[in-house]
Amino acid sequence: MTAGHLLLFAALAMLVSALTGRFARRIWLASTIAGAVAALAAAVWVLAGGAEFEWRSGFPVGGEPLHVRFDAISAFFIALLSIVGGACAVYSSEYWTDEAHPRSARAGRVWWSGLLMSLGAVLLSSNGLHFLVAWELFAVSCYFLITLDRQRAETRQAGWLFLAASHAATLCLFAFFATMAARTGSWELGPMRERSDLSPLFWLALLGFGVKAGMFPLHIWLPSAHANAPSHVSAVLSGVAIKAGIYGLVRFSGWLPPPAGAGWVVAALGVASAVLGVAFALGQHDLKRLLAYHSVENIGIILIGLGFALVARAQGNAAWGLLALAGALLHVWNHGLFKSLLFLGSGSVVHATGTREMSLLGGLWRAMPWTAGLFMLGAVAISGLPPLNGFISEWLVFLGLFDAVNSPGSVALATIPALVLLGMTGALALACFTKVCGIVFLGQPRSGAAERARECGPLMIGPMIVLAAACLAIGLAPAFFYLAVARAAAEWNPAWGGVGGPASLGTLGLANILLLLVGALAATLLWWRTIRAGLRRAPTWDCGYAKPTARMQYTAGSFAGIINEWFAWILRPWREERRPEGAFPSGASLVDHTPETVLEHLVEPAGEVVMRISGLARRLQHGRLQSYLLYIVIGLIAVAALVLRANGP
Amino acid sequence: MNSTLNLLIGMAMGLNLLALGGSRVPQVIRAVAVQGIVLGVLPLLLEHDFGWLVALVAVITVMVKGFLIPGLLNRAMRAAKIEREIDPFIGFVPSLLLGAGGTIAAVAGARMLPLLPEHAGTLLVPGALASIFTGFILLIGRAKAISQVCGYLILENGIYLFGLLLIRSTPLLVESGILLDLTVGVFVIGIIVDRIQRAFDSLDTRKLTVLRE
Repeated sequence: MTAGHLLLFAALAMLVSALTGRFARRIWLASTIAGAVAALAAAVWVLAGGAEFEWRSGFPVGGEPLHVRFDAISAFFIALLSIVGGACAVYSSEYWTDEAHPRSARAGRVWWSGLLMSLGAVLLSSNGLHFLVAWELFAVSCYFLITLDRQRAETRQAGWLFLAASHAATLCLFAFFATMAARTGSWELGPMRERSDLSPLFWLALLGFGVKAGMFPLHIWLPSAHANAPSHVSAVLSGVAIKAGIYGLVRFSGWLPPPAGAGWVVAALGVASAVLGVAFALGQHDLKRLLAYHSVENIGIILIGLGFALVARAQGNAAWGLLALAGALLHVWNHGLFKSLLFLGSGSVVHATGTREMSLLGGLWRAMPWTAGLFMLGAVAISGLPPLNGFISEWLVFLGLFDAVNSPGSVALATIPALVLLGMTGALALACFTKVCGIVFLGQPRSGAAERARECGPLMIGPMIVLAAACLAIGLAPAFFYLAVARAAAEWNPAWGGVGGPASLGTLGLANILLLLVGALAATLLWWRTIRAGLRRAPTWDCGYAKPTARMQYTAGSFAGIINEWFAWILRPWREERRPEGAFPSGASLVDHTPETVLEHLVEPAGEVVMRISGLARRLQHGRLQSYLLYIVIGLIAVAALVLRANGP
Repeated sequence: MNSTLNLLIGMAMGLNLLALGGSRVPQVIRAVAVQGIVLGVLPLLLEHDFGWLVALVAVITVMVKGFLIPGLLNRAMRAAKIEREIDPFIGFVPSLLLGAGGTIAAVAGARMLPLLPEHAGTLLVPGALASIFTGFILLIGRAKAISQVCGYLILENGIYLFGLLLIRSTPLLVESGILLDLTVGVFVIGIIVDRIQRAFDSLDTRKLTVLRE
């Protein structure tokens, strides 16, 4: 039994699930889980030090022989894919049932299998042509999953935006792979670190993979797609699909020699994504849209790590680069885990209340203790607080950047602002999740829907517990998981193969365990005392009003109002207020909304310009035969003139 | 022999101008018919070993281009009760000037082309270019479908003249194939013209723009 056998088994199981998804729900679920477990086992095999797997087919498919390469980087991403893919498949079997969604549940299962398979093929394929085919299939499966609920116009719009953005990205990738194939004479991919003539291609890859990763300012498709997709799809989109972009960047920045300055650009984009992602998140009132902007933020953190790793590699493989890269890679796992946990949690909220609007939620803690608890655990993790996994990876990135400050040269100067902004991102994320948890789970229900909410069933809670457990495990045993990360990092840059991990990692793990124990002890003590003293339920925050209502609570907008004003220069919030006037005010209202600024102020005006120019071209198409003939004559004369010029004296 | 050839081609070029300047449809059809006859005779002059095949093709060309197609056009015109006045986009004088300019440009331009020495002295290439250009002017500059058919015929005559350059290497059968296509084409157009006239009460192609999408 080797990694190859396990992968083959996983592929067969996924094939069975794709074929049975339409009519046999249980077989689909069983084979999806079997495939995910087998793929996870294969990934663990390779990451634990087992032999890497490489296989070339003797027969060509589409003109090129298949080339599967299962090395540590592939295994690293496959592990995330299989955990999140399997967990969300279980979740979907209760969340998106045949009974509730007779039109889309069957198709949803088939596309789910399609997504997992095509993404797996992207991660394993080592041939440019097959990579592109798998990439396109992956984008199309994502599109159909996003638009599962396509009765709603909003969903269809989000789907189109996703499709357009992802095709623009694919165009860049076509250029990238085709140019590479033309320069090297083969579609085969592999380490080409000494081919410095290929280094400019990195920019194409950055553009193509950056769109998929949701890097600022190419993230325009991400918020609406994540918000409007069913929650298990949002979870896999945010947890794994956007990591495919990171995979591409990691893979090809490792295999190709990156151009000078690439590291700085990636790091700068990372800082922009991190800070602005969280700023946009603070302005959102839609629970899932808010989480989507946090994906932009976390992609930013990953890119900061990757960018500084590239800088370190360009500066003679400085050891701090390894820490930054390890932080980035570990954050890929961590963000995949806690973000899918959060999306599943938000899915449970939507499932129970039927709305994503935070101003209609509130007080769900009492009705949905499991969901609330698990969501808050995810919130702690994403805010980068100990003892959970988000803290570990951000700490590794910080550690790398701290070491870079000590290194000689201009790196130190550029690192300090990055450090400050990264720290600020963490603080803002904490503020944002305080807002989410406070508004959604605490306080009084703000609507009838929130009052009637009931806890969801075990098939929805179970996967969330699995993801939460994984978050906790990485937080408590970071030194153990660092081994896997170090193998992937060594694959990225062989010069870092023998470098050991930071010694403090073990101490950190112990400190986290201690913190958890102390926390648990304190919580038990508090609980015990509360029970002994007796509980009295009363409305919170009545502030002396004789008849308080739920509408007197803080809203999502007011909670984040001050921080939003700091970022008003880029958020450009839209606000309409009618202040109470006079001694006996008749009515007052306040509506505010944070648009997707890049889309509305940059992409849409640019699109209008293009449409206007295209409109001019449309005038040529008027239906008058005579003019068409004139075009032909002009064309013929032009061609003749060209030929004569080329051949003439 | 070259002088006879050049004389005939010169005649064809003159007929081009006549077709451009003609203000009535029968006049243009007549010009096309005469041009067809003139060009039909050319293979007899070009081919040295005078075979029965060449004679047959020449006869067929003259019959089809000179009599059958013009006859079909005349019939279509009568059947569809088309007004005899031509309705030009590009006026007659500008058309004539364009045609004359095109003819001069063709004669001048042919000198620049890398031709075989035996073709350099003849008017074959300039005549072909001029006819193609004239055909295009008629196609572009006339509104009625039937005058456009005439333009198409002149265009085809130009292509035929080019084909004569290759008379040694391509059998005349190719030309006869083209001729057959053309006849069928004119036949079909004749029917369509009739149908359009019945359906829309007009043959003005300017009114047919709604089908563009």
